[in-house]
Amino acid sequence: MASAGGQGSPQFPGGLAPPPPAANPSHQSGQQDANAANGSNNTLNNDWVCPGSFEELHKKCKDLMPQPFEGCKLLINKGLSSHFQVNHSIHLSSANNSSYHFGATYVGNKQLSPTEAFPVLVGDMDNNYNLNAQIIHEIVHGLRTKCVIQTQKAVWQMAQLGLDYRGKDFVASVTTANPNIIDESGVVAFHYLQSITRKLCLGAEYLYQYGGGMEGAVLSLGGRYTGKNWIAAATASGMNVNMTYYHIGNESVRAGVDLDVNLRTRESVVSLGYELDVQKANMTVKNSIDSNWTITSVIEKKLLPMPFTLTLSGILNHVSNKCQFGVGFIVG
Amino acid sequence: MVSFISESETDDQNHSITEEEDEFIEETIGERLWGLTDMFPEIVQNSISVIATFSMRGGKNVIWFTSKAIWITSTSFMMLVLPVMLEIERVTVEEQQLQQQRQILLGPNAAASGYGPSTQGLGALPSMPGPQPKS
Repeated sequence: MASAGGQGSPQFPGGLAPPPPAANPSHQSGQQDANAANGSNNTLNNDWVCPGSFEELHKKCKDLMPQPFEGCKLLINKGLSSHFQVNHSIHLSSANNSSYHFGATYVGNKQLSPTEAFPVLVGDMDNNYNLNAQIIHEIVHGLRTKCVIQTQKAVWQMAQLGLDYRGKDFVASVTTANPNIIDESGVVAFHYLQSITRKLCLGAEYLYQYGGGMEGAVLSLGGRYTGKNWIAAATASGMNVNMTYYHIGNESVRAGVDLDVNLRTRESVVSLGYELDVQKANMTVKNSIDSNWTITSVIEKKLLPMPFTLTLSGILNHVSNKCQFGVGFIVG
Repeated sequence: MVSFISESETDDQNHSITEEEDEFIEETIGERLWGLTDMFPEIVQNSISVIATFSMRGGKNVIWFTSKAIWITSTSFMMLVLPVMLEIERVTVEEQQLQQQRQILLGPNAAASGYGPSTQGLGALPSMPGPQPKS
């Protein structure tokens, strides 16, 4: 809950950070993989050994899973300068209402590395007047703040403020969501991730919620182990156990398995996902098979030489025999 | 024709029906054939009935399972594997066509070594198509 967006360190597709999750985040994962495996294509270099922040323990595997959508989507990205980028997106859908989103991304001057610069301001506005905005800034070296605001029409829905400090081999962060001093309500989360050896890192999360006469706290522990070309991560709390395994086959095949057990409702889901990067055909395919008898597939094909991308997505549930398909087109 | 009288009938009135009378108890063909099963002993009847029921049910289950399995594997194959296969094949055929075109234009040497002018120098003529002497 405190990890809405889940972006610890923004990465750049071709110069600018990606828009918030409302728009299409398809460019992001490919670029991050390129950054993470820039040493050699088959092994994982130091970037992902440790630590990436507690919320990103399962990121590699979750990024493999396809993000399906329904209906017809058109996304136009326009870079106005090397710092500023604007995107328009139209989503026609019969399941949810059709919508038009306008988003803007600004990246500031403080450049840490070729792929990271701060501050980053990302905003997204809906045709129903829903606003989604994020500011990420690095105040001093190692100390980053993140502020996320969501409004629905003119009503505040969620405000989240986070601070994280990256030391030499650890990451500590504090995040609060919807803090309301007057009503005495809010959620506070503390994360800490420490790298024990170069391959193993362990961490903990403490989530405290107060408000409306209700008070509760959740402690969860997690760890990640990085092998030569695989990563295994696990997080466990009183409510939820989540284990993932990520494997790089060769430079075009990556696979991952994700086990999610909900201890409250006693339900578990296993999903197997893989990504095929067919360079020859400029195509990326992400597929996943579920233990709920659901198969999901997302295909992205770059129509070179123009900067167009065609996206096809499909979900098929064998048990209920329901399917949903989507077509998307990305310009720029 | 002799009509058989069921032994279990105890109604007095039925005793008046003698074997000589021409009254038949109406029986369908199915009932007559079913009656023939009485010639087998109990155990044989029971076991044959059990075997027949099981094989009917088993056959239905096998057909149901096979049809479901075929449907699930074929739709999953169509969604997961087919687009990749078709696209790779299309790109391969396109590459081959390009290579053929290059071969026609510039000669088989250019096609084998990739593309671009011949490596002999600026003034060299492109090689003629046809068998080339091995150098």
